[in-house]
Amino acid sequence: MAKHVLNSTINGEAVEILVQPYDTLLDVLREDLRLTGPKEGCGTGDCGACTIHLDGKPVTSCLVLGMQARGRSVTTIEGLAMTGALHPLQDAFVRHGVPQCGFCIPGALMAAAAVLAEHPKPTEEEIRYGIAGNLCRCTGYTKMIAAIAEAAAAAPARRG
Amino acid sequence: MATVMKTTREVKGVGLSIPRADGAEKVTGKTEYVADLKPKGMLHAKLLRSPHAHARIKRIDVSKAKALPGVRAVIVAADIPGLKKKAPTRAHAVLAIDRVVFVGQPVAAVAADELAIAEEACDLIQVDYEVLPAAVDPLDAMQVGAPPVAEAGTEADTSEALAHSGVAAAKSEAKPSKAVNISQQAKINRGDLAKAFAESDVVIEKTYRIPMVHQGYLEPHAVLAQWDQQGQLTLWASTQGSFNTRSEVADILGLEENQIKVIPMECGGGFGGKIRALCEPITAVLAKASGRPVRYVMTRREELDAGNPAPQVIIKLKTGCKRDGTLMALDADTIIESGAFSGAVLTMSAVFIASVYKFPNFEVRGFEVLTHKPSIAAYRAPTAPHTFFAIDSQMELMAQALGVDAVEFRMRHLMQEGDPMANGQKWQSNGAKQVLARIAEHPLWKNRKAWSAQSGKNGRGLCGTGLAVGGWIPGLQPTGATVRLNPDGSLTVLTGQVDIAGTNIALAQIAASAYGLDIDKVKITTGDTDVAPMTGLSAGSKTIYTVGTAVLEAAKDARKQTLQIAAAEMEAAVEDLEIEDGRVVVRGVPDKGVTLASIGKKGNLYMSKIPPVLGVSHPAFAVQAPAFAAELAKIEVDPDTGQTTIHDFVVVQDAGKAINPLGVEGQMQGGAVQSIGIALTEAMMYDKNGRLMNPSLLDYRKLTAADLPNIETIIVEVPAPAGPFGARGVGEPPIVPAPAALANAVHDATGVRLTELPLSPERIALAIAARS
Repeated sequence: MAKHVLNSTINGEAVEILVQPYDTLLDVLREDLRLTGPKEGCGTGDCGACTIHLDGKPVTSCLVLGMQARGRSVTTIEGLAMTGALHPLQDAFVRHGVPQCGFCIPGALMAAAAVLAEHPKPTEEEIRYGIAGNLCRCTGYTKMIAAIAEAAAAAPARRG
Repeated sequence: MATVMKTTREVKGVGLSIPRADGAEKVTGKTEYVADLKPKGMLHAKLLRSPHAHARIKRIDVSKAKALPGVRAVIVAADIPGLKKKAPTRAHAVLAIDRVVFVGQPVAAVAADELAIAEEACDLIQVDYEVLPAAVDPLDAMQVGAPPVAEAGTEADTSEALAHSGVAAAKSEAKPSKAVNISQQAKINRGDLAKAFAESDVVIEKTYRIPMVHQGYLEPHAVLAQWDQQGQLTLWASTQGSFNTRSEVADILGLEENQIKVIPMECGGGFGGKIRALCEPITAVLAKASGRPVRYVMTRREELDAGNPAPQVIIKLKTGCKRDGTLMALDADTIIESGAFSGAVLTMSAVFIASVYKFPNFEVRGFEVLTHKPSIAAYRAPTAPHTFFAIDSQMELMAQALGVDAVEFRMRHLMQEGDPMANGQKWQSNGAKQVLARIAEHPLWKNRKAWSAQSGKNGRGLCGTGLAVGGWIPGLQPTGATVRLNPDGSLTVLTGQVDIAGTNIALAQIAASAYGLDIDKVKITTGDTDVAPMTGLSAGSKTIYTVGTAVLEAAKDARKQTLQIAAAEMEAAVEDLEIEDGRVVVRGVPDKGVTLASIGKKGNLYMSKIPPVLGVSHPAFAVQAPAFAAELAKIEVDPDTGQTTIHDFVVVQDAGKAINPLGVEGQMQGGAVQSIGIALTEAMMYDKNGRLMNPSLLDYRKLTAADLPNIETIIVEVPAPAGPFGARGVGEPPIVPAPAALANAVHDATGVRLTELPLSPERIALAIAARS
């Protein structure tokens, strides 16, 4: 099949590549751009390990075609903290001992970042529902929720 | 108990809650798993799998697949020399030869430039099947005349039991059965069963049934295989034991183990499902045939259809006691459905059910039954959640029939150190009674009547509380470790242990405390099979207990060498020396000393006569340390829908000594949630033709954050006599108690007693409706 040109902004950088029309955004990120932070745990949108932000909203990138990112902005776990230091969520995940096998972590962090964007001071229920699309089989979620709550509490109050 | 080094200043090591060292890699997405690797020239593999549970293969035509551009290799069974029809394990059945025995069994394999091409090639392979009757339900499959699963004369596989179980094989008096699908049998008994039941005042008989469940590791099975010009095979694997993978692949492909290097990549969860080889052999065959590196990653559907899940277990249990509560007799059949290949931990299950509470008279008959479904493997304390679901539900029922307190009734009859197990082996020291006593002190248990009284008030549903105990006897395996002193005065620990749960940080903490150096000066590395000391599986809750002992002894060895070098230099006696703040000093004379860095440097100086410090230990083990947990659930059941909501959940666990409490809590919380999943939502559902009806994570319900409360953890420490610093295994016990605890809680809330899992809304609602 003929490849298509995909122009997109990925982790803040303009990208132009050729992709197959049937490639998912997850395939494009992982196989073509070698951004292997987002993981494929199911390929059917059920586990959340491939969660990224598309124009600032969390999506499971296995359910989005690569070409659907044309002209849009994509953020992966690799782009969550662009300054070199860890994002407050990443830092809290480490200190709370959240990662065990670690496979769900990139997706869970992107979901958590979306929770905080929507609810800067989330309730426990808002956190739980916000990451309900992200399966974790190691942690039982308890430490993950504590880490997200702590990162939210530490963040400066939103202006205006 | 292990010696703890005395220092005037406390070393920062054992007992600290420290996050794992690779945490920052994991939260930034930099950690590499197999599917993240992509060497030059890499091909993608895809397997053509059987659509039938049982069928004869009449013909396979791969000509069209081979002709597709981009296809580099197409393999069928006939292309693999030495493939045996009587495959002793699932992994040995690399591809089906002339008969398929479960839906999803690999029939042909393709390697191609792109995954899409490999998928298209699989579609172009034509297989003619003659569909045969399938044995799907284990109770039917174990009957005489059921459709046969294994080829006649295939040996039972007991290696999984050896890898996992802490229990020596019971002497089996069982006679071989003529029912062709009964692949293993065990029978253990003691006393006069008939007389004991005749003298019992209360006799309760129930059948407990737990369906197949999938371990649900989030990273599907994956492997990358590459051969070099000398015929050496390298496997980048997602495995719980790289040396085990090397042995299995060598055996299956007829290679010397030294021809294979297994590089353990980060393992995205295993829970028992990544112990045995699964897709490694066929990927190696494809790499050989194509002369290119080949990567194979299973899809989630393939995982659910054709992974190696936990078995279905059916336990028919009859128990009797006297009116005064004296236990009299236990009679049980434990039936373990092993799927298409043998390999269940049959003995462990049979022994456990008659060993936890002290029944003086018992008989247990164990059966491993083959069916036309994917073969099973371990899942965190294999068969223990099933066994304790039966026995702890039964103890609760007997206590209720007698009108006595269920906790006191358990406490009265629970085994302790020195009591005989069903196979005559003596129970080692353990904290079963301590965890039960501790959870019974919890306010949620003390206030359970007040919670029950909330039922139906203020819009509440039916309120209840339940608890149960559960445990496991962690495994043993020889292992090795080295501890090296570096020129900068730091230590490097090397093992071959795959770190999934965060065991490496705990091992480093053990090295720090044993040597006398702070944890921030200790680095630990997991080596591949070419460089690491021989190391066992990350399974059976045994990493800290066994590898921890090796690291402890290697660190003590390194300390001894260090002190000897310092003693010669300082003209002092070794006994008078101490390691403090990165220096060796004479005790009481803190000014006189040499730095560890200077000793380390001399071990690496050109023309130096000082040997480098290298502590080594490679122990084998004989003494096991049983590990127990107790769990409590405070729940609310909607009487109309049968939906259960867990408001609070508590795990109390005996860790012996929590080397890293943060990591221990993580194990307890994760294990508890897996246990709750088995209890409430999980089941692999098959139709009558042996097809999985819920092969996705949408239809197969794993618990999400929205389904759960916070999991409260309470660590109890009953030191294990032979464990490093008294530690015992922590991985497996927390997956055991929840099924019984939740069944007890549902009974407390609703008055209905369910003996089949999961405790789904439908099952609970129907039971409530049937009663009223």
